[in-house]
This record gives sequence, structure tokens and C-alpha cells, in this order.
Amino acid sequence: MIHINNLSKHFGKQQVLHNIHLQFEKGKVYGIVGENGAGKTTLFRCLAGLEDFEGEITSDLQPLKNHLGLLLTEPYFFPKITGQEYIQLLCNARNTSITDIASKNIFDLPLQKYAAQYSTGMKKKLAITAILLQGNSYFILDEPFNGVDIQSNMMIVEIIHQLKALQKTVIISSHIFSTLSDTCDTIHVLQNGSITQTVQKADFAALEQTMKNVTIGNKLQQLGLV
Amino acid sequence: MTTYFLLQYQFINRRFKDANLPPILGYLLAALLFVGLSLYLFFKTTFAQPIYIAIALSVISPLADNRRNDFLNLCFGNTKQHLVRVIENLLVTLPFILFLLYKQYWLSALFLTLLASLVALIRVSTTISITIPTPFYKKPFEFVVGFRQSYLAIFAAYVLTVIAICVANFNLGIFAVMLVFVICMGYYIKPENTYFVWIHSLTAKQFLFTKIQTALSYASLLVLPIIVVLAIFYPNNIGWLLLFWLVGSGFLVGIVVGKYANYPSELGITQAIMLALCISFPPFLLLLIPYLFFKATKRLSHLLP
Repeated sequence: MIHINNLSKHFGKQQVLHNIHLQFEKGKVYGIVGENGAGKTTLFRCLAGLEDFEGEITSDLQPLKNHLGLLLTEPYFFPKITGQEYIQLLCNARNTSITDIASKNIFDLPLQKYAAQYSTGMKKKLAITAILLQGNSYFILDEPFNGVDIQSNMMIVEIIHQLKALQKTVIISSHIFSTLSDTCDTIHVLQNGSITQTVQKADFAALEQTMKNVTIGNKLQQLGLV
Repeated sequence: MTTYFLLQYQFINRRFKDANLPPILGYLLAALLFVGLSLYLFFKTTFAQPIYIAIALSVISPLADNRRNDFLNLCFGNTKQHLVRVIENLLVTLPFILFLLYKQYWLSALFLTLLASLVALIRVSTTISITIPTPFYKKPFEFVVGFRQSYLAIFAAYVLTVIAICVANFNLGIFAVMLVFVICMGYYIKPENTYFVWIHSLTAKQFLFTKIQTALSYASLLVLPIIVVLAIFYPNNIGWLLLFWLVGSGFLVGIVVGKYANYPSELGITQAIMLALCISFPPFLLLLIPYLFFKATKRLSHLLP
């Protein structure tokens, strides 16, 4: 379980996260939605310990970062390192011994080729494979469906279901609402750095409708297309 | 085009300012370091000219990056882009050319000028991708990436060793040993993305010890063939070989801890100067390494508590 207590984050004078209180339980999948710049990635980076913050983050497994698989929005790859070596590097970092990586290549990636030359979707799939093989208990997936083909999208949804069944905690951000409603138990709405709404599965449809109304409204008419 | 070069000039100035160094002082120190190292090279070996040209070409090689050239092509168009590339290659190699002229190596200076201009016009296709095998697959990071980028230079060091034996020049052999260490140090110049430090389930100290251990064992793997061959042909000089192995290892450790002493920024100019000073007095490393190690543990502590 992860507890976030009164978390705030400033970049200089600008406050980007405001007194956030959240709790993530075992065997649950959580979605974080919000507009671009709402603070989702910053929240994830604070959770991971990649950013300093005010407030408190506690978890039953200490330190949290050693049990956390973090998928960045745009995973970074070194030049001249193959897909297989990338997986090996991430597993070594967590002291996880791994054999026969090829048999675990569920996305059929060209693991002997340099990862930096992969397409956006392939890079994401490689990064997901690596954090899955690290044997983490918690997962933060920042935009896992971005740039990924339909088949892999379905695979990622199934992976998240399986992680939930294995009592892992998964936190996802996505701009594709259907993927969140397929996978999440709870969705938190982040607006201007504050959690403004927490919605359970039964109310996801209403949340989607509200978001449509607020976001789209009559803005399309402003274009004067009709 | 003038704006482009002015921007490059401002970019260099900004890097000095980021290192808390006034640009004028930065240029002065860089010039002193360049002249000092050039004099040292020409003093140490009779093969300095080809080595010097090779170093100059390796300095301009990152400018030939295809994506960079695509960007220049978009900005300037094909003809002007070639002109920009020639000018920047000549500007970067200018200190080398001037030093060769100062040493009155007219032909080498002319050769470097022509070569630097010519390589600016050549574009290497990257459509064919071959994965170069490395002996460092167990810990795939600095040495895997570095080896794939510098295997030709390592091969050159091995060739120098063979020449050293053929022409009975032990000093050239020592130069080959130190060249391998310098190449390995190059693997640790650029700081990695913080994600790749954060992923480790280690404390800052454990992380640094692991990095040092990997650097020493893998560098030794590359330098060992040279040491063994030289030891066979120059059995009386084994002591010198071990001493240079030790000094090379010391500098390598210095670079590893120096890299993280300023992390996530690049190796600081002050630290680089301190390391450069150690060239003239290597025992200073015994003080510098613990100092940089201490600084590095502090810099890494928030990522690796």
C-alpha cells in the first residue's frame, strides 16, 4: 500500500502540485486523468523519488523505489544498446537474475537490434517488458498506450489485468478514456495540480460524459466549420 | 549562416557560465590545456602526427551526425549546409592545424585541413544496422555503448602495440596502454539520464563502488592483451607496465567518481582541471578520488537513499 500525505511540489515560485492526499492499495488499478500540464508526470516522478517534494509518501515496502516499475512517457534509450541488453541492464539494477530473455519477448521485438532505432511504440513495449521482468510490486505507467499498435494495446490491457490478479498495484495515466475504463478500479482527476474528483468504476461513464461536456462544450462551433 | 555560428559561440559561452566560469577564463584555460596536452603528446612519442590527426578527426566526428545534418539541411538547404559543415569542421580543427603549423609539420597541417573539409561533405548511410558484439554483455552499459563507438580506436591501440614490438619502442607500448585507458575514460564523460541511476536498488556508496569495480575490471580486460604482450617482449620492464596500469586505473576511477560528483550535470570544469593537474603529479589522485567520491555520494543521495 502507498500513502501520499499532503504532497506539494514547487518549481521555483510556481506550485505544480497542491496538498495531494491519495492512497493506493494492493491488487487495485488506479487511473490519473488530467489535461496536459495538470501535473500527472510530476506526481509520478515525486512518487518514484525522482523529484524532491514537500509532504510524505510511505509504503509497506521500503524503499518504495526499489519495488517500483516506472514507465516514462518517452522512455530514454542509449545509442548502441540492444533491446536484450536494455532488459538485462534494468534487471541487473534490481539484482533480478534473468535467463532466456528471448522466450519472454511477448511483443516480438527485434531484441538483437539497437533499441534507439526502434519506433516509438516498440520503445514503449520494450520499456514495459523490462519493468515487468524486474519483478516489481508497484507499477507506474505514464501513457502506456501512446504510440502503440492496437494488438499491443490489447496485450497491455491484459497485462494490467494480470498484474491486478497478482495483487500488484498499478497506477496509469492515459488520454484514452476507454483504456482506463477497461482497466481501472478508481480514477482520480488531477486539475491544475489538485485532485478534484475521485470516481469509482460504476461512475466512469458519467465521468467521461462530464469531461466531454466540459472539454468540448460548444467550442467546435467557434471553428465555424458548419 | 552568421546567426548560426553566433548561436554556437553563445552556446559555448553558456557552457562556461553553467560551470561558474567566466567565458574569457574558460577559453584561456581550454587553450592552455590544449597546448599543454599537445606539447606532451609530441614530447612523448614519435608517432604524434598521425595520432594528433586521428584525435582531431575524432573531435569533429560527432558533428557528422545524420539527424544533425538533416536539421542543417532543413535550415540552410543543400549547398549552404555543406558550406556550414566545412566551416565548422575547419573551426574545430583550427587549433590542431595551428599547432601543426607551429611545429612546422606543413604537410600534416595541409592534410588535416583537406581531410576536415572533405569529411564534412561525406554522409554515411545508417540504413544498414549491424549490432557489434562486445565482451561486456553481462553489465550492458558504459562499456557496451563505449566499445561499440570506439572499437576502431581500441584496435588502433593494439596495432600500436605490435608496432612498438616491431620497432623495439617500449614507450610506444606504454602509450598504447594509456590510450586504452583514455578511451575507457571517454565512456564516463557524459552523465546518463537520472532514470538509469534511479533504477538501481543500491545506496549511493554501493552504486559508486559497483561502477568503479565494473570500470576497473572491464578496462583491465581491454588493456590486458597489451600488458601481456609487452611483458613477454620486455620482461625487464614489468614494473613500469604495472605502474602505468595502476596510474591508468587511478585516472579511470577519478573520472568515474568525477562524473557523479557533479551529477546530473556534466563533469565540472574545476574537477576536470583538478584531474588534468594529476597528469603532472599522479599521486594527487590519492587525495582527489576520496574528495570526488564524497561529493558524488552527496549528489546521488536523493536518487539512491
